Amino acid sequence: MAAPMELYCWASGWGLPTVDPDCLTVLTYARFTGAPLKVHKITNPWRSPSGTLPALRTKDEGILSDTHQIITHLRKQKFNADYDLSARQGADTLAFVSLLQKKLLPVLIHTFWGDAKNYVEHTRKWYAEAIPFPLNFFLPSRMQKQQLERLQVVCGENYLDSEEELEKELYREACECLTLLSQRLGRQKFFFGDSPASLDAFVFSHLAPLLKAKLPNGKLQHHLKSLQNLCNYCTAILSLYFPWDEGDPPPVVPKAAAGDGSESEEEPYKRRNQILSVLVGLAAMVGYAFLSGIISVQRQAPSQLRPRAITLEEEEEEEEE
Amino acid sequence: MGTVHARSLEPLPVSGPDFGALGEEAELIEVEPEAKQEILENKNVVVQHVHFDGLERTKDDIIMYEICDVFKAKNLIDVMRKSHEAREKLLRLGIFRQVEVLIDTCQGDDALPNGLDVTFEVMELRRLTGSYNTMVGNNEGSMVLGLKLPNIFGRAEKVTFQFSYGTKETSYGLSFFKPQPGHFERNVSLNLYKVTGQFPWSSLRETDRGISTEINFPILKTNHALKWEGVWRELGCLARTASFSVREESGHSLKSSVSHAMVVDSRKSSILPRQGALLKINQELAGYTGGNVSFLKEDFEVQLNRPFLWDSVFSASLWGGMLVPIGDKPSSIADRFYLGGPTSVRGFNMYSIGPQSEGDYLGGEAYWAGGLHLYTPLPFRPGHGGFGDLFRTHFFLNAGNLCNLNYGEGPKAHLRKLAECIRWSYGAGIVLRLGNIARLELNYCIPMGVQSGDRICDGIQFGAGIRFL
Amino acid sequence: MSLAAEAFVTQIAAAEPWPGNAALYQPLKEEQILLSDNAACLAVQAFLQMCSLPVQLVHRANAEYMSPSGKVPFIHVGNQVVSELGPIVQFVKAKGHSLSDGLDEVQKAEMKAYMELVNNKLLTAELYLQWCDDATVQEITHPRYGSPYPWPLNHILAYQKQWEVRRKMKAIGWGCKSFDQVLEDVDQCCQALSQRLGTQLYFFNKKPTELDALVFGHLFTILTTQLISDELSEKVKSYSNLISFCRRIEQHYFEGRAKDATFRLSLIS
Repeated sequence: MAAPMELYCWASGWGLPTVDPDCLTVLTYARFTGAPLKVHKITNPWRSPSGTLPALRTKDEGILSDTHQIITHLRKQKFNADYDLSARQGADTLAFVSLLQKKLLPVLIHTFWGDAKNYVEHTRKWYAEAIPFPLNFFLPSRMQKQQLERLQVVCGENYLDSEEELEKELYREACECLTLLSQRLGRQKFFFGDSPASLDAFVFSHLAPLLKAKLPNGKLQHHLKSLQNLCNYCTAILSLYFPWDEGDPPPVVPKAAAGDGSESEEEPYKRRNQILSVLVGLAAMVGYAFLSGIISVQRQAPSQLRPRAITLEEEEEEEEE
Repeated sequence: MGTVHARSLEPLPVSGPDFGALGEEAELIEVEPEAKQEILENKNVVVQHVHFDGLERTKDDIIMYEICDVFKAKNLIDVMRKSHEAREKLLRLGIFRQVEVLIDTCQGDDALPNGLDVTFEVMELRRLTGSYNTMVGNNEGSMVLGLKLPNIFGRAEKVTFQFSYGTKETSYGLSFFKPQPGHFERNVSLNLYKVTGQFPWSSLRETDRGISTEINFPILKTNHALKWEGVWRELGCLARTASFSVREESGHSLKSSVSHAMVVDSRKSSILPRQGALLKINQELAGYTGGNVSFLKEDFEVQLNRPFLWDSVFSASLWGGMLVPIGDKPSSIADRFYLGGPTSVRGFNMYSIGPQSEGDYLGGEAYWAGGLHLYTPLPFRPGHGGFGDLFRTHFFLNAGNLCNLNYGEGPKAHLRKLAECIRWSYGAGIVLRLGNIARLELNYCIPMGVQSGDRICDGIQFGAGIRFL
Repeated sequence: MSLAAEAFVTQIAAAEPWPGNAALYQPLKEEQILLSDNAACLAVQAFLQMCSLPVQLVHRANAEYMSPSGKVPFIHVGNQVVSELGPIVQFVKAKGHSLSDGLDEVQKAEMKAYMELVNNKLLTAELYLQWCDDATVQEITHPRYGSPYPWPLNHILAYQKQWEVRRKMKAIGWGCKSFDQVLEDVDQCCQALSQRLGTQLYFFNKKPTELDALVFGHLFTILTTQLISDELSEKVKSYSNLISFCRRIEQHYFEGRAKDATFRLSLIS
């Protein structure tokens, strides 16, 4: 390809190549098909060309930000993971993807964004540390709002009426769905035999976050862990297709990984954040001492941030494949 | 020349008929002891000028109407009384925070020897006033935010906005009020509102969004109000367990109605009257001006009060109403009448009389209710002349009935239907007057004529209300 | 579909037998009902027919607001009210009638997956067509949706509903789709259904399941409803086994009922 397509997705964390299920779907599909992508793992959605993640910059179709659209586009570029499937299997793929979206996605959203304990101790913690200052003060809560809205749309209007009952029902359905998937997978390596297809990308990206994240409140995790074939399936995909992300002890912000060091961008962010917080603290103290008001102090802080951020930009965008 | 300070007249009673306490006033008038003091009382005087201090945005013409009587005064007492009435009228407009009256002899070149100048020192209300309240009730807390723009165009017009933000419901109302200059009782108002109500006795939730215009005018001793109202009503079930009859009423409807109300009230106090009578007639015709709700609704209320032995008061009241649906659509649950509760037929639960389905009361198309009361001061009259006067004990006998009529049957059958299965109760209790708008009652009730399906409150019943039987 | 409703149903559904006075409530047939609602109502009717449970059809202008979940249709059985196909299937199952008992676990998984596919693609496409396609909105949806109400309530309610649906569409990523993309989705879905059905009588061999009822409800409605353009029905018509599937269910379960034109498939092809 003359100019490879560029994929923007969330940075890695929790032992996963990317923390967001949608990004993970796209990334996994790309790995399955071997599509040459220039991957930008970023922690600031505002730097994505569409403002959301994932986003694919293509040559002829502009910027795509919907998971299905991206996959369709890749398929059109002859990177088709479903090439060997029969028509009947193609139909099953569509059906099971719908099932995942209806039964598993709500509970995934609920686990990561809806459950207050998980959100505060796990999800928000990661995003707040990863997203650069000062966006980290409001982006996580805005994302939560969007996700909950999505949950409400999927679950219907009665969402707020009886949250407890709904939660029970959500988890019951998700457990049922996991069991169904486990039965459907059986002893196969992938859902349709020995080679991965697009359904595998969807299933994997919905299961892996549940499996890998260290959630304080992991009701569904226990159930998933009891389904051995699904767990093996996830770990196999992780080790086969994401060799340098796999097996990491999953710290919330992973240490600089081995290999080509493509995921090392968190490190300077962290250091910079530390420096920044000290600077902001100092500035606040000085400002207070001179009774010059807080506004002027805050204005100063981002202006120091900007030149640094620009210099860092070049380092952190590593090419993959 | 002596200066009479009329400001000392301030503690005058508000209402007209009690104005006769002039003896008291005279003592309050402070007359400067001067050697050349004249007796002005019987002398003819002429009011030459009326001055206003402190007018900012109020237009002159509306003031003229209120004070023109002052010029007609012939002697000092008259001047004082007329200025006083003018002051009351000005205050009633609701545009001044304070009005003071100064009467002085005329100064200047054209001053007549018996000329007087009257000066009104007024202080206008601010352009925007706000209020903030919190309310708790019905398992719900709410915050009420009010904004008022008094005298917005300078002729006592008023715009009010009220917003109530509750834990469950949000309501708001915007209204514009304009009186006719010189006739405050003749006024026009325009309202825009959204009100949400929950009616647990019917498992019903109602959201009304409406617009209404109202014209008020007096004819002789009666007050009339003509009103058009267009309201979009949304009904819904309060709970999943609501009965199917209530469920069937769910949905949207548009009511456009014209109504007329007439009130004759000769009572002094509306909460604990000692004498006088009240007659209220209300009629509403919906459907001919649009909307998809058609009915004719008639409603009346009569109350008579007679002083009785030892400061006690005997009171009798009667309510009644009828709703006739027009066309083939049955009446809506939101339009029908409800009866029962601590301020109507006591001894029954709130609106828990009459037709019901699975415990949800559906209301009726016709009702009547009557009450006989004997109000007495508290036994041994503690706090007499002060706090104790807010309380009364009362003995009551209430009766009423609520049912649906089959309008094909004729009036005799209707009367028979209203006369059978009468609910009645008696008891005694204590009444507390809250200002001049509401009252609290703590009663011991003995319900007697109870029909199956009614929910009774046998024994102690507590209630608060503005309208009461 | 309301999940809370399902939970409720499973709790309360008693083992009482099916009463004779059970009623199915849906919007007014001639002047009010919309494509997606008609599909949902027809699916429930077909399901109850397949279970041979008698219900009386009741048409109400306010059916949408009477329904506990805000969606039509709903059944009133005894003193219980249950709305939408999913909860109704569970409710009926609790009463001892089920169409999917004979399936094994994998088939059940597939049945659920295909039902979600239909809801995901066909139902959403119907909603898209009737609320997001401007020509359809102006000519069909608004006049029909507002038909039971006087001016200006008809416009207010239609716009309110339109706003609500469009917001949902945006949340699930359909807001920026073009009509052609939606048609492509429908085609994809029909293709999948056609593949799955193959030459079988019903989706799972000889016996109908709730999936058959759902597919019939949607496809039959799309095929028989007169819209501004027939692009949607043309997509379905290109799959002959789906057409004969619809005709089969119609003849088998709706024969003798409603001889009116909307129920005739013979007009097609």
